[in-house]
Amino acid sequence: MVNFMREVLRRPSAVFGVSLLILQIVAIIFAPYLAPYSPVEADALRSLLPPSGEHWFGTDVSGMDVYSRVIYATRINLLISISAVAVAFVIGVPIGIVTGFYRGYLSSLVMRIFDFIQSFPVFVLGMALVSVMGQEIWNVAIVLAVLFMPIFARLIRAETLSLRDRPFVAAARCSGATDISLMFRHVLPNALSPAIVQVSISIGMAILLTAGLSFIGAGVRMPVAEWGLMVSSGAEQMILGVWWVALFPGLAIVISVMSFALLGDAIKELSDPTMRARR
Amino acid sequence: MPILNHWNKIPRPLRIIVSRLAIIVPQMLGVMLVTFVLIRLLPGDPALLMLGNMASEDAIASVRERFGLNLPVWEQFIIYIKNVLQGDLGISYFTSNPVLVDLLERAPATLELITYSMLLTCLIGVTLAIISVVNAGGPLDYVTRIYGLAAGAIPDFWIGLLLIYFLFNLAGIAPPPFGRVDAFIITPTQVTGFYTIDSLLEGNWEAFKSSVGRLALPVLTLSIVNAGAMMKMTRSVFSGVYKSEFIHHQVASGLPRRVIIKSALRNSMPPIVTLVGFLFGFLLGAAVLVETIFSWGGLGQYAVQAVVNSDYSALQGFILFAAAFILVVYLIVDIIYGLADPRIEV
Repeated sequence: MVNFMREVLRRPSAVFGVSLLILQIVAIIFAPYLAPYSPVEADALRSLLPPSGEHWFGTDVSGMDVYSRVIYATRINLLISISAVAVAFVIGVPIGIVTGFYRGYLSSLVMRIFDFIQSFPVFVLGMALVSVMGQEIWNVAIVLAVLFMPIFARLIRAETLSLRDRPFVAAARCSGATDISLMFRHVLPNALSPAIVQVSISIGMAILLTAGLSFIGAGVRMPVAEWGLMVSSGAEQMILGVWWVALFPGLAIVISVMSFALLGDAIKELSDPTMRARR
Repeated sequence: MPILNHWNKIPRPLRIIVSRLAIIVPQMLGVMLVTFVLIRLLPGDPALLMLGNMASEDAIASVRERFGLNLPVWEQFIIYIKNVLQGDLGISYFTSNPVLVDLLERAPATLELITYSMLLTCLIGVTLAIISVVNAGGPLDYVTRIYGLAAGAIPDFWIGLLLIYFLFNLAGIAPPPFGRVDAFIITPTQVTGFYTIDSLLEGNWEAFKSSVGRLALPVLTLSIVNAGAMMKMTRSVFSGVYKSEFIHHQVASGLPRRVIIKSALRNSMPPIVTLVGFLFGFLLGAAVLVETIFSWGGLGQYAVQAVVNSDYSALQGFILFAAAFILVVYLIVDIIYGLADPRIEV
């Protein structure tokens, strides 16, 4: 673990990613102390004020403080994205391992279904599912979990297929290991690393999708502080030259997605011994 | 095996096309199953949801009758397939038009947008990929890597708004973000549905200039964001080819760099064709967001309207259309791939 941290600190891009991540964790924990105003309190008299000492990021059309909302939105955006990816991981990994371990009719049928889900543009399918299920925060998370689950299943399955005929699996089988123990104690630990890299990348994708869904009105609803929704509430004013309402939440999205992408890159390099040796 | 003998006598291109066409039938059935199940997932009465809360008792009864909602589910699915095959996708209660009419009317706008976006995305993506591979480790490589990282993190709807702010509001170079042509211009008569082409066909220079101007920002938005991913994927293909032995041989023979790049690019083409197909499908999804910002009046905006107004027939129609479109794109890609790569077995 200490070694791991040392390796991370040796890469400037990884350090940058981790510091952006720490920034978000601070925003999540200390939101009530960092935000000078309530994230949902509207004040019609203070509508569309430009950034000033009093309102660092200005106010939006209903007079809510943009800075406070950007800080608080970190909670909801990361909550949705991380829980969606966690669910996708927890369901996708066993499916991947079982379909990779037992190659049969059923497992190739499951894969065909996943192929099919993945051939749709993610955003179109996400939009349809959320609007059919009802525009609730948890529904957005469930839909994202459904959309991401095939990615993890596929990665784990590919690894399992290449591992299942290796001598160490045969050795374990000879010493009397059951299928369950073969799959989860012998194959799984060796098959996990691409899926773990994918977790970080998927969280970033989930943040973008959540924001996009809210932007078109198929996700979280007002007055919840959510980045995509905030950009959308500033979209009309942007044409009139009011830039601050949409600019800052958008920047928050960029920072957040980028931190997870950088983290994913770092994990990928560290989990690959050949890449590590090259440095 | 007499059948197999006959099959092998058919010319190869035809074999590729026929065998690939055969797959699209079950795929289309799958798509219809998905769109059917999607609507059946709805809690509550589908008839009520299709018509909206203001529907009268008679209307609900007639919808029940038409869609056979009192029949077993599999019979309903067959009725749905029959309706779709006859071009009946239901009525949008928001526009009160048949959904198919609405979709066909809006499709050219979206296709024009994503076609130009795809061309620009490929141009930027492939160029940057080549630059980064040829200058591997150099400052240009570094810059393209940063671009790739940033482009993957930027929401397209946000960059679109920034472009509007900077280029329309501040600099005043871009036309206003409202639709496909300026309001005072007579839209060209529909031939291809692409305003840029139709206006040229009838020599309507004003309409051409206006539609190109209106296309600039949304196309730029989609390209900036997607060229990053295109670059990353092209780079991994191209750098593999660039390290292969025939390239080393060309370098050793002292061929000019331009020729080497060209032949490396030619050999990276088949995977890039697949990427382009994938990108086309992806852009259709991305267009949903970008059309909303630029009031584009295409399929994407129609879909958003459907979501916001809970217009489920329209939404179902859009999903079906989008899926069918993507299947056709993949079909074309597979056929081109098969024709381009003689190693593919049919």
